[in-house]
Amino acid sequence: MKLARVGFAITVVSFVLLAGVYVRAFAFTPIEAAQGPAQKIFYIHMPAAVWTEIAVILLGIAGIFFLFLKDKRLDRFAEASAEVGTALGAVVLGTGPIWGKTVWGTWWAWEPRLTLFLLLFLLLVGYLILRGAVTDDVLRPRYAAVLGICCMIVVPFVHLSVYMFRGLHPDPVVIKPSRPSLPPEMLLTLGLSFAVFTLLYIGFVAQRVALARLREESGHA
Amino acid sequence: MPEGVPQNAGYMVAAYVVASVLLVSYAVSLFLRLRKFSRGSGAPPGLP
Repeated sequence: MKLARVGFAITVVSFVLLAGVYVRAFAFTPIEAAQGPAQKIFYIHMPAAVWTEIAVILLGIAGIFFLFLKDKRLDRFAEASAEVGTALGAVVLGTGPIWGKTVWGTWWAWEPRLTLFLLLFLLLVGYLILRGAVTDDVLRPRYAAVLGICCMIVVPFVHLSVYMFRGLHPDPVVIKPSRPSLPPEMLLTLGLSFAVFTLLYIGFVAQRVALARLREESGHA
Repeated sequence: MPEGVPQNAGYMVAAYVVASVLLVSYAVSLFLRLRKFSRGSGAPPGLP
């Protein structure tokens, strides 16, 4: 399948570029004076978090269109976006506590941003479980589309929680109304990392859509 | 490293390792599932 091959090639290229981002982050990006080297976790944590949010927004949009158009391609894309979003969400939840331990002195805090992100992650896991549990080929995409839309509704609360509630998590330094508050070298590393995560998302989704198509053809949808 | 800067490079490395393991695991899982279903569907072997 062409889509699987293209997705695989994009994924391989993404991993090579990701290694380059690691080198740039470790060796060619200045150390933040207050937080030390641990601040560099930011260069993987933040792009993974933003792409989790984008994946969920795309999941919701695909769900809305699916409910009107009943196009199987939209359902396949939604499923792929949810699964890739879950994988990226796991990266966020894996790296965040390590950074939190160095900066806040604790692995986890039940503060609004963290709690809402965990909720979003669990909703995504629930979405995938729902898809596996419903065997009816007509009902499954419909239920999944509705849950996907519900997941999307949570995203603005996750992103704006730092403004809406008082908590430990810092305010956004890049995706905010004013100019990014990062030195140019850090901003470049972050930009490169974000571009690589974009490629990773595209490569993963392309492969996952191809997989969904193969599963349908083999009767395992 | 300048004086006064926290010495926490180990945490940074740990986070990068965790991220790498998760991303590579997912990529491998996709690869294996695609290979399994491409064999079953009669598509040319060696996918993806």
